[in-house]
Amino acid sequence: MKYLLAAAMLAACAAPAQTVGSGSKLPFVYTKWKQFTTENGLPNDHIFAVKSDGPRIWLGTENGLALIDKASGKVKSWTEKDGLPWRVVTGIDVDKKTGDVWLALFGGGLARFSGGRFEHWHQMNSGLVNDVAYGVAVENDNVWVATTAGASRYNTVTREWSVFTEKNAPMEEIWNYGVNYRDGKVHLAVWGSGVLEYDVATGRWKDYLDPDGEMEIDLYRDDGIVHVITTQANYIDKVLWVSTYFGVCRYDGRNWRGYYNKDSGNPSDFNNNLKARSGNEAWFATDKGVGAIMDAATNTWVAYTRDPKSKTGKAVVTRDKTVLETVEMGLNLTHNYILAIDVEDNDVFIATSKGLAWGVGDGYYGGLRERPKALASNGRASK
Amino acid sequence: MKRLLLAMVCLFAAMGQEAKKAAPAADPETQEVLRRINGLTPYEVPDLKLRTEQNYAHTSTDVEPFGSVKPYKEHFLVQMEYTGPGRAAPEPVGLKSVRIGFIGPIESTVSIATGGKSHEEVLGKMMLKGAQLAVEQANAKGGYLKGKIPFELAVANDNGLWGSTGNEVVKMAYENPVWAILGTIDSANSHIAIRVALKAEVVMINTGDTDPTFIETNIPWVARNIGDDRQQGYLLVDYMIRKMGYKRIGIIRSSNRYGRFGVREIKDSSRRLGHPVAIEMAYKVGGDDFSLQLDRIQEMNVDAIVHWGDARESALILNQMRARGMKQPYFCSDRSVSPEFEKAAGANAEGVICGYPWDPDRKDPKLDEFRKAFKARFQVDAETYAAHAYDGMNMLIWAVQQGGLNRAKIRDLIATRSKPWPGVTGAIPLSAVMDDAGEVFLARFGQGRWKYESRESLQIPRGFVPVRDRTSRGLETASR
Repeated sequence: MKYLLAAAMLAACAAPAQTVGSGSKLPFVYTKWKQFTTENGLPNDHIFAVKSDGPRIWLGTENGLALIDKASGKVKSWTEKDGLPWRVVTGIDVDKKTGDVWLALFGGGLARFSGGRFEHWHQMNSGLVNDVAYGVAVENDNVWVATTAGASRYNTVTREWSVFTEKNAPMEEIWNYGVNYRDGKVHLAVWGSGVLEYDVATGRWKDYLDPDGEMEIDLYRDDGIVHVITTQANYIDKVLWVSTYFGVCRYDGRNWRGYYNKDSGNPSDFNNNLKARSGNEAWFATDKGVGAIMDAATNTWVAYTRDPKSKTGKAVVTRDKTVLETVEMGLNLTHNYILAIDVEDNDVFIATSKGLAWGVGDGYYGGLRERPKALASNGRASK
Repeated sequence: MKRLLLAMVCLFAAMGQEAKKAAPAADPETQEVLRRINGLTPYEVPDLKLRTEQNYAHTSTDVEPFGSVKPYKEHFLVQMEYTGPGRAAPEPVGLKSVRIGFIGPIESTVSIATGGKSHEEVLGKMMLKGAQLAVEQANAKGGYLKGKIPFELAVANDNGLWGSTGNEVVKMAYENPVWAILGTIDSANSHIAIRVALKAEVVMINTGDTDPTFIETNIPWVARNIGDDRQQGYLLVDYMIRKMGYKRIGIIRSSNRYGRFGVREIKDSSRRLGHPVAIEMAYKVGGDDFSLQLDRIQEMNVDAIVHWGDARESALILNQMRARGMKQPYFCSDRSVSPEFEKAAGANAEGVICGYPWDPDRKDPKLDEFRKAFKARFQVDAETYAAHAYDGMNMLIWAVQQGGLNRAKIRDLIATRSKPWPGVTGAIPLSAVMDDAGEVFLARFGQGRWKYESRESLQIPRGFVPVRDRTSRGLETASR
């Protein structure tokens, strides 16, 4: 009887409540989630940065750095009393070659965590252009830092610094917000200057701006970046994904595609950040939950939100604005205000302003497939 | 010991009752907002009835960008929400003061804008005085009334170096925290400050930066209580082109962000009205000789000249224009409405017209009282930066008094205020993007003084301001 009851409860918690077009291909939906907050040992719930690094998850919080051991779930943390140079960590990247962890510090500059100790660079002891750092990215032997007064590049071998501002890069404004490196290109999301692309091989810059040049409108949906106030840019599979506070967009090298809440499944146009998994799939950190475009070709999205009044959540699958499926589940996100996202292998890691949510992607598949067997088993597994 | 404890409990209870009595009564609208934001869990977002508008910034159809095309999306019509957990943060105990941040140009230093000496301290110092007066008056009335704690102004210099502003706001947010911030003037520095305020989640009210793009960033933590260069630009263009019929306008401006963004609406509106600006010349701030720029402008045979920059350069340019026989009417930004301009321009100031964010000649006992108190406190007359800062600081203090020591609630109270703030600079109605959408004026210098004229008093025509937003507007309202 107990088993029967439990099975019924599980089915109620993780079953598709509404399915349109039975037998149609649908995206993977994460139904198995883990949560980490201060109750699990995080130094702070307000998480600005998340980086999955094989068996570890690094978290940059408003009051310290944290490390979650994926296998055991154990949390270790470092605050200023442990040698962390500044309490607020806004960006994290890991050098795959050396294992060094690089930290963008919000007001504290740049730090490297290596061999159990912190090394610190700031305006007064280095070529870092400003201490208010929003993001960091490792590019070969270089470390790029997006700061509020330009971008800095530190060569870890020669120890030389380069500074990029309006004087030597096409920055109409110098307020760098996000930085990302992949496949030979560094992309900077620059507040007021769209996205800048730096080709590592040639040392040349290219800019991507909103073609209408107006702040108050987006003239055409698919004519370029939806707005120049950009927050992050990811380049993968020769596709550039961009997040802004006014919507998001995708560029495949030939065509742009804009996405707004009014024409897609993204829960909000206010996007703090993004993480792209492929040229076909990208995850957006909005102020009203997570929006994941799972199949760009068909504009198929999954939006994850937490119920504010209970420890439950749901995923809504949409194509354009048509709801295909609503999946009710147990607790998914720790909060709907999302600040950063990372993906690695099958899993996703959602940094919110009140804890970390870890989506376990057992059975994950990219794109669309026949449903719902995998979904149902995932949902039960989460309980 | 027990008696002592009991006595202390009674004392604190009495203090609580006293504080409760002293707390200012909230109006019904504020009470309703407080009802909606108090007692929420960290996961709940209150229904704050987001302000929704049908028209952005009172823009008439004939000066809308790409007016012949229905845009795919129109921004800034629906108010931004703050959806994070901040409202659930408990009020701290044991505070010795309620710190409110001030950041502005108050110390002379080097400047990004000039590549040399900074130039905005004269404005920033007045802004600081206005803020100080508001804080001192609040303390004279008992300080933060829930605990009778004095307000304290945490002052930082905005030295004109782009990066340092961010550092200062970070300090205010984390090192020695404040509950809200007022500042700054330079538009580039203001943009940097609000990016930090957004991440750190502290409300920032701006009282001196008139750059239109300052609030066009969709940040729910930012408000401004001064009419911006978009509104002033629209009024100047309506006066120059619609009323006076000038067809060829020349622009001379400072080569900094203030000049570059200040003239944008004038340039765009003139072009959209069929009279594109004939020439635009920029100069380096701090220079004395403008002959190169004036040579070019003179060659273009313009009907009127617009200057956007500081009072010093404004007067020098005007004097050099008149010295070479250029008789065109001279229009300026609000920074020229100053004793510095009047003194340096002398007789040439006669007839100069400037956009202005408020009407200082308005008959208002509050304004008179403010001026009197300001003069008594600082021995100088209050001007526009002081008056707007006074209003801005009073708005913050009001929100703290009502909402308590909670950054998100302070933000909510400012964001949701539907009635215009009754400032000494006039009624301040905040738009959906929390910008001052109130009336702006033209200041005309004549017979030794500035006279402030409204659109109505000068019978300045304006284009059709539509009643529906652009994306859902039908042909019936998109007519020209």
